[in-house]
Amino acid sequence: MDPFDALERQTPVGVADLFYEQAAAKTMLEQRVQQLFARWGYARIIPPTFEFYDTLATQASPQLRQQLYRFVDRTGRMLALRPDMTVPIARIAATKLYDQPRPLRFYYVGNVFRHEEIQAGRQREFSQAGVELLGADTSTADAEIVCLAVETMLALGLEDFQINLGHVGFLQGLLSDTALDENARSRVEQAIDQRSDAAIRETTRAIGMDPAVSRAIQAIPQLCGGAKVLDSARDLALGGSARQAIDRLAEVYEQVRNYGLGEHVILDLGEIRTMGYYTGITFHGYASGLGFPVCGGGRYDKLVASFGADMPAVGFAIGIERAMLVTRAQARVGVDLLLGPASSPRCMRLAQHARQAGLTVQVDVLDRDAIALEAYGRATGARRAIYCSPSDDASEQACLLLGDEPRSASLDQMEREIDAWNH
Amino acid sequence: MEPLTIALPKGRMQDAALELLQAIGLGPTPEALNGRKLVFPDASGSVRYVLAKPADVPTYVEYGAADVGVAGEDVLRESGRQVYEPLRLGFGQCRLMLAGPPEARDRNLRLDIGLRVASKYPRLAQAYCLKQGIPAEIIPMSGSVELAPVVGLADLLVDLVETGTTLRENGLVELDLIMRSEAVLIVNRASHKLRFAAIQRLISDLSSVVAAKGARS
Repeated sequence: MDPFDALERQTPVGVADLFYEQAAAKTMLEQRVQQLFARWGYARIIPPTFEFYDTLATQASPQLRQQLYRFVDRTGRMLALRPDMTVPIARIAATKLYDQPRPLRFYYVGNVFRHEEIQAGRQREFSQAGVELLGADTSTADAEIVCLAVETMLALGLEDFQINLGHVGFLQGLLSDTALDENARSRVEQAIDQRSDAAIRETTRAIGMDPAVSRAIQAIPQLCGGAKVLDSARDLALGGSARQAIDRLAEVYEQVRNYGLGEHVILDLGEIRTMGYYTGITFHGYASGLGFPVCGGGRYDKLVASFGADMPAVGFAIGIERAMLVTRAQARVGVDLLLGPASSPRCMRLAQHARQAGLTVQVDVLDRDAIALEAYGRATGARRAIYCSPSDDASEQACLLLGDEPRSASLDQMEREIDAWNH
Repeated sequence: MEPLTIALPKGRMQDAALELLQAIGLGPTPEALNGRKLVFPDASGSVRYVLAKPADVPTYVEYGAADVGVAGEDVLRESGRQVYEPLRLGFGQCRLMLAGPPEARDRNLRLDIGLRVASKYPRLAQAYCLKQGIPAEIIPMSGSVELAPVVGLADLLVDLVETGTTLRENGLVELDLIMRSEAVLIVNRASHKLRFAAIQRLISDLSSVVAAKGARS
C-alpha cells in the first residue's frame, strides 16, 4: 500500500473538518462567549475574511508578517487572509466610525489564518472570539477588558486558570534610557522571553548596559505574583515612563479587585511576548492542563491612528479550539424527536406541532419502517422517536419507539405528551 | 494537585541529570530506573519523571506533557520549540562544529558549488550555511554522520564534538565552531505561570547546586 496514495482527497495540513460533537461543542462555546460579550454591552462586528496585504501587515511583527497567507487578485494587488481580528477592526474604526460617539464596543467571532507550526489546539485556520473597546485610554477601560477575559474563562466553565497581567511600558521605559539599537533591544527581549538568567546577564554585559538598568532587567523574571510585585517594580523603575507603567498597572489591578475578580489575576512583568501593536497593559490567560495560553490581549493606542483616526484602544481574544481542548466541552448531538415516515400526513402534523413546542425535530424522508426508524434514531442520538402508523385504530396512530416505554397512542394524545416534554 | 512532571534525556546526559536531581533530594529510585517503565513516580508523589529520547524532550515540554525538562541547547535550538530556559546546568558541554577532510581548510566554501553537508541537525546546519553564504545542500541523517564524507555521500558535516576522537579516527578535522552547547533546564511557558512557586523553588535549588559545583571545579 502506498501511504501517500489519494492524498489529494484529504485537506492540507493546518485545516480541520468539524462535524457532530466537535462542531456542536464549538458552536456552544461560541454562543456562550457571544452572550457574555453582549451582556457587557458589546455589539457584533463582522470584518471581511481577506483584505489588502498592506492593511493586515500594519504594525505586525516580522514573524506575523511571514505567517500571512498572501495572494494576488486579478488586478495584481496583494491581498492576505486576516491573521487576527484586531487590525481589521482598527481599520474599520478609523475609516468608517471615526465620528461615532465614543467609546466603541465591538465583539467578534470568526476564523483567522496563520501559517505557523501546528500546536495543541491551533491549526493554521482557527477560530477567535474577542472584544475591542475603542476610543478610551482610561485604566477603567483596561480593567473592563481584563475582567471580561476572566468572566470569559469562568463562562467556559474553567476553574483552575489565571490571567497574567503585565505592561509593555515597564521594559520599554527601562530600555528607553539606554541607547540600544533595534538588534540589541531584540536580543534583550529574547533573553527575557526565555527567562534565561544566564542569557540576560550575558546580553546586558555584551551590549555594555548601564549596571542599574541591567539589574532591573535581570529582576524581571522574578516580578510575578500579587500586589508586592508592584512595590519591587517601583524600586527598580528608573525612568518616568517605567514608573508610569507600574502606576497604571496598579490602578488596573485595583479596579479588577473592585470587580471581585482579583483572585484570578497575577501581575507578571515578564509578560512581554505580545502582538507588535501593543503599547500598554498586556495579558495572557492560562488554564491548567494546557501548555499554551488560552486567551490574550492588551492595549494598542497607536494602531487605529495608523489608519487615520486617533483612537486609543484595548481588547482581547480567546482561541475557541484551545478553549474546547481545555474545557473538554461536551455538546449534545441528535434531535429531541425523530418522526417517520415523512410521507405520512400524521407525521407532518406531529412534526409541526413539536417544532412549535420548541423541540428539535427530524422527519424520516427515507420512509423506514418502525424497526429501522428506531435503529436510525439510536445511531444518530435522537432522544425520542415516533413512528406514525397507517393504522385505522385511533389508539395506534402513533408509536413511541425511543426514550420511554414503547407505547401507542392517538395523535391527539401524542400531541399532549409532546407538550409535556418541553425541553 | 497533579504531580510536577520532569522529562529527562536518555543516554549521554542521563546520569548527570539524575545526579543533579539527587543533589536536591529528588529523582527516581535506582530500582525504578532499572525497570522497563518510562514513567516513574517520586517517593513523595509530588513529582514524576519521564525518560525520553533527548530530541523529544523539548517537544514534551512545549506541549506541557512535561512541565520541566533537561535538554541540550543543541537539541533545543534544532527543535525550534518555544519554552523557557531559566538555568544552564553546567554539564553536557560540547560544541556543534562544521567538520570535513583537511583539504577543505584551504577552500573558500562560499565559492564552492554543489557542496553537500550531512547532519543530524539539518535546521542548524541550514541556518549556519545561509548565514555564512555557503551554498550547500543539507543531507539530514539520523546517525554516524562521520561516515558521510568518508564514503562520498557529503563533502562536509555538521555535528557535535566532545573530544574530537571520532573525527580524527575518520581522517576529518574541525573547520568552524557553530555553537557551544550545554544542558539547560527548560520549562513549559504555561506551567511556569500556573505553578510558579513550585518551579521557582526547583530552579533556585538546582541553581545553588550548579553554582556550588561550578565553584569546586
